[in-house]
Amino acid sequence: MIKTVDLEKVFVVRDQEVRAVDGITTHIKSGEVVVVIGPSGSGKSTYLRCLNGLETLTAGHVHVDGIDLADRKTDMNKVRREVGMVFQQFNLFPHKTVLENLVLAQMKVRKRKRSEAEEKGRTLLKKVGISEKESSYPSQLSGGQQQRVAIARALAMEPKVMLFDEPTSALDPEMVGEVLEVMKQLAREGMTMVVVTHEMGFAREVADRVLFMDYGKLVEEGTPEHFFEEPKEERAKLFLRQVL
Amino acid sequence: MIVVGLWIATKRIDYTWRWNRIPQYFVYHDKDAKTSDVDGTVTSLVNIGNQTTVTVRSEDGDDSTYIIDTKTANLKVDEYLLEGDTVGSIAEWKAGPLSVGLWVTLWISAVASVIGLVIGVVTGLCRVSQNLTLRQLSITYIEIIRGTPLLVQLFIFYFFLGTVLDIGRIPSGIGALGIFAGAYVAEIIRAGIQSIPKGQMEAARSLGMNVPKAMVYIILPQAFKRTLPPLAGQFISLIKDSSLVSVIAITDLTKSGREVITSTFAVFEIWFVVAFLYLILTFSLSQVVAWVERRLAVSD
Repeated sequence: MIKTVDLEKVFVVRDQEVRAVDGITTHIKSGEVVVVIGPSGSGKSTYLRCLNGLETLTAGHVHVDGIDLADRKTDMNKVRREVGMVFQQFNLFPHKTVLENLVLAQMKVRKRKRSEAEEKGRTLLKKVGISEKESSYPSQLSGGQQQRVAIARALAMEPKVMLFDEPTSALDPEMVGEVLEVMKQLAREGMTMVVVTHEMGFAREVADRVLFMDYGKLVEEGTPEHFFEEPKEERAKLFLRQVL
Repeated sequence: MIVVGLWIATKRIDYTWRWNRIPQYFVYHDKDAKTSDVDGTVTSLVNIGNQTTVTVRSEDGDDSTYIIDTKTANLKVDEYLLEGDTVGSIAEWKAGPLSVGLWVTLWISAVASVIGLVIGVVTGLCRVSQNLTLRQLSITYIEIIRGTPLLVQLFIFYFFLGTVLDIGRIPSGIGALGIFAGAYVAEIIRAGIQSIPKGQMEAARSLGMNVPKAMVYIILPQAFKRTLPPLAGQFISLIKDSSLVSVIAITDLTKSGREVITSTFAVFEIWFVVAFLYLILTFSLSQVVAWVERRLAVSD
C-alpha cells in the first residue's frame, strides 16, 4: 500500500541542517495498522506528513498504491484524496458546520452531489457517534468531538489509507478514550492505518506493527509483543523504561 | 462651551446664518418649458387632473405627445405649431446640486470600492504566492501606490493616462481611487490570509483540494471575516478620499458644495452640510459592516 525507500527530509533552520527523517525504508501493507512511536523530535510526524506529500521529500521515494510521490509529474491532489489525514489540532474548518465540514471536499474534490455527500456525511457522523451535532460549529464542540468529526471528515473521502498525527495529544485526558475507540473500530474494519501516537496502550492493543524512531532513523520495528516485551535496541529499551 | 464659543466668534465677524437657503440646493421646484419637436397640428388636448396631454401630429402623420400643466396650456385643437414653438410648461421637483453631488460621490465610491476590492484580493493573493515574479510585482505596485499622494495619482491619471488612453474624467477618477484603495486592501488581505493557521491549508490539501480551491473555500472566507473591520476602515477612507476627485472637475459632493457657495456665500452652512452628508455615507457603511460582522459571528 505505502512503500518508503530511503526516505529523507532535511530542514534548514538558521543555516543548520536538521535531518528530520533520515533514510527510512519500510512497507506498509494493505489492511495493516502501523503505529509509529518515539521521543519528541524524532521525526515521527514529519515522516507521516511525507506519506501524503504535505512535506516535500529531500531524497528517496514514497510509493502510495504504486504512485511515486517523488516524481514531479505526480498529481499530489489525486494521491491525497486516497490518503486521509487526522491532525493533532483537528484543523476543522471553523466557518463551516460539522456536516459542511464533511460535505465540502466530497463535493469539490470527489464531485459528488450534495444529497449524496450529505447522506455519506450523516452516516459517518452516526458512526463516530455525534450525529446530533451536525449543524453545530466546531467551536461549539469539545476536543474529543472535534477530533471525531475530523476522522469522519477524512473518511468521507473514502480513503484507502488513514494517517493519524498524534490524534489524542491535544485532548483532555477524559476525551482520549472516545477518539481511540473510533480508531479501534476503524482498525477492526480493516482500514490501513499509520498512527503516530504516545498512547502505548493503543499501540499494544491495536497495532500489527510498531515502528520506533529516534533522530529521524528507524531504530526498531516489529510486532507490539516483540517491541514491548523484548526490544533489541538499547535506545528502545530506554524509551520504554521512561514511558511505561 | 465650544458651541457657545463658536457662536460668539461668528457674531463678532457679523456672519449671517442663512440655513433657510440650504434646502433648495437639495430639491427645487422648477418650470420646465416644453417645445414642439416637429411642425404639425394639435390633434387633441386631454385633461387629467391639473395636467394636460397635448398630441401634435406632424405633416408625416407621426404623433408626439407632451404633458404640461393645464394652466399653461394656451392651445386649441387644430392649431398649427412650428418646430420649437412652446407647447406649455410643467413644474417638476428637481434634484439640486447637493443631492446630485451626494449621488455622484456615492456611486463613484461604490464603483471604486469594488475595483479596489478586486485588485486588492488579486494582489493580496499574489503577495502570498510562491511565485517570485508575482510577489515582486505585487510588492512594487503596493509600494508605488502607498508611497505617492492620492492627489498626485489623480493628476497623473487624469492628465497623463486620461490623455494618452483617451478616457474621460470620471473613469480616470474612479480608476485612480480604485487602484489607490487596492494597494491598501491587498495588504489587509495578505495579513488576513497569513493570520489563518497553517493547519487549515494542510487540512484542505490533505483532503485533495488544490491550492485555488483551498483558498476559495477555506482560507479566504475565514480571512475575509477577520479582515472585515480593517476593510471597513479602508472603504470609509475611500469615501472620504473621493472628495479629492473634485480637483479634476468631477462634480462630486465637495465640488457641488463649492459651487453652491459661489452662488450663496453661505460658506459655513454649506461646509457643515457637506460634512454631515459625508458622515451619513460613512456611518451607513459602518452599520452595514457591523451587521455583516454579526451575521458572520454565528460560527464563533
